[in-house]
Amino acid sequence: MDGPDRAQERLQARAPEMELIREAQAGSRAAFDALVRQYEQQVLRLALHLTGSEHDAEDIYQEAFLKAFRYIGNFRFECSFYTWIYRIVTNLCLDQLRRKKTRREDQAVVIDQSGDEIDVLSSISDQRSFSNPGKELDRKVLGERIQAALSKLTPRERMVFELKHYQGLRLRTIGEMLNTTEETAKNTLFRATKKLRTQLAGLR
Amino acid sequence: MNCELAHERIVLAAYGELPDEQIHELDRHLAACTDCSQEREQLQALKTLATAYPMADPDPNFVARSRMRLDEALDAIPPKRWYERLGQRVVNNFSNMQAAPAAAVLLLVVGAGAGTLGGYEYAEARIAHAAGQGSAEQAKLDASPAQTAPAEIANISSIEREPNSEIVHVTFNQLVPQHIQGSLDDPSIRQLLLLASENATSPGVRDDSVGLLAAECRAGHGCKGEGVRDALMIALRYDKSVTVREKALEGLQPYVAEDMRVRDAVLEALLNDSDARIRTAAISILEPVEADTSVRQVLSTVASSDHNPHIRTVSRQVLSRAPEIR
Repeated sequence: MDGPDRAQERLQARAPEMELIREAQAGSRAAFDALVRQYEQQVLRLALHLTGSEHDAEDIYQEAFLKAFRYIGNFRFECSFYTWIYRIVTNLCLDQLRRKKTRREDQAVVIDQSGDEIDVLSSISDQRSFSNPGKELDRKVLGERIQAALSKLTPRERMVFELKHYQGLRLRTIGEMLNTTEETAKNTLFRATKKLRTQLAGLR
Repeated sequence: MNCELAHERIVLAAYGELPDEQIHELDRHLAACTDCSQEREQLQALKTLATAYPMADPDPNFVARSRMRLDEALDAIPPKRWYERLGQRVVNNFSNMQAAPAAAVLLLVVGAGAGTLGGYEYAEARIAHAAGQGSAEQAKLDASPAQTAPAEIANISSIEREPNSEIVHVTFNQLVPQHIQGSLDDPSIRQLLLLASENATSPGVRDDSVGLLAAECRAGHGCKGEGVRDALMIALRYDKSVTVREKALEGLQPYVAEDMRVRDAVLEALLNDSDARIRTAAISILEPVEADTSVRQVLSTVASSDHNPHIRTVSRQVLSRAPEIR
């Protein structure tokens, strides 16, 4: 999951982290900024992948760190700071996914780079072209199909799948982040993979 | 094993979350059941397909833009006043020391006392008193003896244990430095040790307090409550001094098997601690826990990616020596 370089980075960053948190709790803006720099890449990666939109990801980033700034005094070192900040981010992402879901209902829509929404399923006119993916389906369109299938999951299923499949987190940690049990996270992952397989059945 | 259960386990196995003994059981089922074996292939195909929508690193311009916007928003927030921060700190200290159970007991005692006396005026006076002071916070304050109330303690300057006895001398500063002595089992001594383990500015004091708490845990003296264990986990995760982290790790050893949170903290230390001694010690105390594949996963990761060759070798040895972990 983590390469040696990444582990090394985390290892170097961890030692002064407690100090940074304490200083931030005492009101130091510089210390908080350092914490932001430590986690911002991961937060943006997750939000971007989940929402598929830079605009939404930026909003989540902004709101997450503002919340962290406001409530950092409540952090009591009972879990790692990484879990704490991820808990805030995943909650905001869940809200965002829920809003999106009600807005778009069942449309399979993704956001293209210019920020416009495109309906993936209607943009692919010939379903038969999926029968031979090696030749006819390029990776970009395939990626969009995956994104569309992911957007049909419930927000919670989407989140668990994201954290497990793409982030490689343990189900126990995912449960902790989503304020639920490992067992529930497990069942949610199971449902998500089942739905995705049905959605993507024609693509193999 | 029925097919429904097998389908569930196929997903868990694909994501490395199935305990070893269940993997063998699943393999046996898959060898005999074509439907389930197709199910596994389909899941593998899904995993491959999903890579077509990879996680991408955010564009540096995008990161810079987001940060700039955040900076502006943070600049607009007025700084917290000193008393807000102080209040927050007091609340945190209380929570860290698990004062809630003590407060609950105190409330019970107060309630029972009031009931026995039965005087209407008395009850009314208590209600007025509680309302006036903010009942919950006041109860927590009452729960600790006045001379050791954490809000009044500036820092802890020394901890000494009398040789071959349970007596500990703790020197700490309030408005004026104070000194108390008492048994290790004494709640006020415990409270001071917990405070010292986290807040003492001198590494020597943190070392002493964590060492004593760890020794108590190892000896099985009153470490059942989570307060001491939590303090040791915090020290292991965050203390800057290697000796303190080492002692915390030793104290946590008896709980690696039974307490999942302890196991997580030790695994985290094995993966991330900057000191090779701590990582080596973490390997030696990880006991095989059959239902938890995370131990094996972390050991494999360390065996392949730790930058210290000795630790890589030791992890490999542990993995090969202990078939029950493998």
